[in-house]
Amino acid sequence: QDLPLGDSKKYTIGDIKVTGTTTYNEKTVIAYTGLKEGEEIFIPGEKLRDVINKLWKLDLFSDINFYITNVEGNVADLELEIKEVPVLNQVKFSGIKKKSEREDLIDENDLKPGVKVTENLITTTQNYIQNKYKKEGYLNTQVDIRTSEVVDTTNSNKINMVVDIDQGDRVKIADIDFIGNEKLSNAKLKRNMKNTKQKNLFRFWKRSKFVRSDYQDDKTSIIDKYKEEGYRDARIISDSLIKVDEDDVALKIQLEEGNRYYIGNIDFLGNAAYSDEQLARVLGLEKGDVYNGVLIDERIQAREPNKTSVANIYQNNGYLFSNIDLVETNVYNDTIDFEVRIVEGKEAYFDEIRVTGNDKTKDHVIYRELRTKPGQKYSQEAVVATVRELGALGFFDAEQLNPEFVDPDPREGTLSLEYQVVEAGASQIELQGGYGGGGFIGTLGLSFNNFSIQGLFDKEAYKPIPMGDGQTLSLRAQASTFYQTYSLSFREPWLGGKRPVSLSTSFSYTRQFLFDYINREADKSRSFDILGVSVGLAKRLTDPDQYVTVSNVVGFQRYNLNNYNTGLFTFGNGHSNNLYYQLGITRDNTAFNPIFPTQGSKFAFTAKFTPPYSLWNGVDYGNLENLDEYQLRDDNGNLINEQGNRVTAENSVADQEKVDQKKYNWLEFYKIKLDGSWYETLASFGPSSNLVLRTHAEFGVLGAYNNERGVPPFERFYLGGDGLGAYSLDGRETIQLRGYPNQSVVPLDRPVDQRDDGAVIYNKYSLELRFPITLKPAASIYALSFLEAGATYDNFRDYNPFQLNRSAGVGLRIFMPTFGLLGIDFGYGFDEIVGQPGPNGWETHFIIGQQF
Amino acid sequence: EETAPKYTAAEKLYNEGKKEDSNKKLRKALRLLEQIEPEFRGKPQGERLVFLLGDTYYQLGDYYNAPFQFERFLQLYPTSQKAEEASYKSAASYFYRSPRYNLDQTDTRKAIEELQVYLNKYPEGEFNEDANKMATELLIKLEKKAYEIAKQYHHTEFYKAAIASFNNFIADYPGSPFREAAYYYRFDSAYKLAINSFEVLMEERLLESKEFYESYKKYYPEGEYIPQLEDSLLEIDKRLQNF
Repeated sequence: QDLPLGDSKKYTIGDIKVTGTTTYNEKTVIAYTGLKEGEEIFIPGEKLRDVINKLWKLDLFSDINFYITNVEGNVADLELEIKEVPVLNQVKFSGIKKKSEREDLIDENDLKPGVKVTENLITTTQNYIQNKYKKEGYLNTQVDIRTSEVVDTTNSNKINMVVDIDQGDRVKIADIDFIGNEKLSNAKLKRNMKNTKQKNLFRFWKRSKFVRSDYQDDKTSIIDKYKEEGYRDARIISDSLIKVDEDDVALKIQLEEGNRYYIGNIDFLGNAAYSDEQLARVLGLEKGDVYNGVLIDERIQAREPNKTSVANIYQNNGYLFSNIDLVETNVYNDTIDFEVRIVEGKEAYFDEIRVTGNDKTKDHVIYRELRTKPGQKYSQEAVVATVRELGALGFFDAEQLNPEFVDPDPREGTLSLEYQVVEAGASQIELQGGYGGGGFIGTLGLSFNNFSIQGLFDKEAYKPIPMGDGQTLSLRAQASTFYQTYSLSFREPWLGGKRPVSLSTSFSYTRQFLFDYINREADKSRSFDILGVSVGLAKRLTDPDQYVTVSNVVGFQRYNLNNYNTGLFTFGNGHSNNLYYQLGITRDNTAFNPIFPTQGSKFAFTAKFTPPYSLWNGVDYGNLENLDEYQLRDDNGNLINEQGNRVTAENSVADQEKVDQKKYNWLEFYKIKLDGSWYETLASFGPSSNLVLRTHAEFGVLGAYNNERGVPPFERFYLGGDGLGAYSLDGRETIQLRGYPNQSVVPLDRPVDQRDDGAVIYNKYSLELRFPITLKPAASIYALSFLEAGATYDNFRDYNPFQLNRSAGVGLRIFMPTFGLLGIDFGYGFDEIVGQPGPNGWETHFIIGQQF
Repeated sequence: EETAPKYTAAEKLYNEGKKEDSNKKLRKALRLLEQIEPEFRGKPQGERLVFLLGDTYYQLGDYYNAPFQFERFLQLYPTSQKAEEASYKSAASYFYRSPRYNLDQTDTRKAIEELQVYLNKYPEGEFNEDANKMATELLIKLEKKAYEIAKQYHHTEFYKAAIASFNNFIADYPGSPFREAAYYYRFDSAYKLAINSFEVLMEERLLESKEFYESYKKYYPEGEYIPQLEDSLLEIDKRLQNF
């Protein structure tokens, strides 16, 4: 739509002509303006103005004019005169030698051939180069840019550019001189200048260069230092930069320190929600304290979530619109009275809570994690906690989670909140092939961390796999020449959607053939397989507190042996079933960094039971060895002894394999474990350098309901070494005890032929002192030293909690999100182990992927 | 010029592809169009080319590139004859991009906005009926989203949050198919909140839930939730006698 401007007249466009252009087709320009012959426009008018604006925006022209060249009746011929900006043909540098430096400057300023050379480009380039050198300490750099037209036959409107750089010498600070400081020493002040340093023989890593912006910051930090010490009036009267010689400058800073002040009366004004006493406690400052301006400011205004401040207690309890000011009301001698003036404002309530950016994860999965709800009082803490929870889900990029306040309304006392999320890949694929253990091993693993099982039946949900319900599905298959293992597990963290009740199910199957290492062949006729199924429910409780989780698992395992006599089990043919129920109660309030807890404790109680079959199945297990059918016989059914000689019925011996097969066809046991760790910060040397003591104790017992049936050879405890879950075919539990070889700590008085068996009772205590080297998200590293002691027992009669295998040592842990935990420990065992008299001595342990 | 035969070929492939519903031909046309489009910028054929480019993307179901080209087309040639179609198809692209209700609805909102722009500009337009249908469908999607979120608060027993959300829902979406259920669940949230309250808060909350009962009855005297409502009302009245 065209509108007239001022006293304009309506014309019909006759002819349009374009002049001044050299590189563009006349028709192209006219088409771009959108003006057409025969069109009616106002001159002057909105339309023409828009056309000119549109052309300007192209940044291609340095001048644009419309002229009316001829008017006949109401038909006007137009001429559009444009002047093109010259384009860059070539840029040359003088004064710098390095090619890479030249290329950097070309890149950073976009000085490529074909670029339009505007005044603006020349000025910004000049400033850019000057600043760049200044930052490196070349204060005397001169930059001069000249342009010249390229003369060629085509009249192409190109220019060449020459950039003259006179770098000058790099300037160092020879001396920093303070005048007027009596209360704080020169050295102390220099220490507080973080980036401006005096030239020094020992400073060869970092240059003592002079950068103006850094210097400005450093001046502020000097004044802040004074403020911290109570010198409220301290100021820099003058500072000068003195040229000592070509390369060196000296800084002269003249200070006025003023008096040291102390806090007088503190009054709170305008506070209705909190009493003066409550606020005074938050402030934590008293009459007579040194007037530390920096601290006072922080205690009043700090908004960082982990800081205690007056502003924060208001922000965390609904007062979004509160405003807090500090006013000094009276200064007498060296004492300052001040008032904390508070405008509380209306309490704010959340109106709408929105989530945007979730193009995979469904609303209900996100909303159930949000700690902020509509109608709830505003709390900064809740917003911060929500962001943390969303990040912990692993579905979103934690760096890009952004809670945004929408329409905060101080009069109504409402605000809406929008959580902006960015989906991150939550699936992993593992595909491996390798040579080891006598043949090729291939592994395929898939793990989907934001799976949707509901989506399996929805054709539209396959993009490429159904996702977005927050479930986890993992599949894994591994195969080599002599074994195969398959596993599948699924977890729904919010069964029913009402409460965080997690349902986990898993299924696994392993089949292993006897491997003949000499011929490098698997013997397919002799095999061992394990089938395992389990279903578990876990729930985080709200009573007695939110740190307690209760879990229930029902599981079944079936071991099937087919002529597989390797000494692992007491029988080589037969099967064993393990149907169990496991109850777990854990309480974990360790904080704050899960990799390096500095406080809190962790307790776990687990009890695993099988049904007490022997109560009702009527088998007299003690008498099995005497029964006729359990006697050792040869293939023809004749009674024999261990040497294979035929014997009479009175001298017959029991067939131990058969007896054990009967005893362990359905495993019968109970297992109880207790585990506790305490974390305590002994000393703190800064925000993330705490010396932490971890105290840890654990205890476990495996027992039988029926002593004649006995404790099965499964599910036992193996103490010693790195404690990594080794090759655990028989449900064994390996427990770490550094300073001793893996699984070596067995009761000393055991008969020789049972020394490889696990124990039924164990206890272990440890003290570990930890100190972080770095706790950056990319890699957390800490050093540790430990004292440990532990022992295993065959029964309660022998149980002696003070007869222990002790050890001490040092180690290092590295945690990287991509690799998990890696570590190395050197431990010295002070006590003897079976078969080795004297102290065990040094052991080295490599720790992989174990987390606590 | 060698671009002319390419132009003809592209147009032929486009027409045939569209007629025979052949993605293969359309993809070929697209390749040619992308190739020659820059060369025709500012020339008379440019107008048709940009439209063809947008429409080919549209026919191929590329609803990310299609609106981009249509919007470019509308900016370059706002007075074109094809402007109406481009305007509609650009909006329709956002309609097809709009994901299921429980995901981010930025595209849905954009689609509704664009469809509204189209409907305002061409009140008698030839795609009017489709545009209206699309806009209604999208609006119901937004309503379902808001309703389901509020209902989740009810399900997870955050009753105060549920009441606040249903209040917002009722205010924001008059005439929604979920409105009756929203009235009911608002009542039910208030009712459950009341009966699980401490003694001191109960009376006030019971009375509030009774108000929600009244407003349901006012709008839906024959509503499907009446039996549940009446049961709850008996309980409310019984409890109110204690105060």
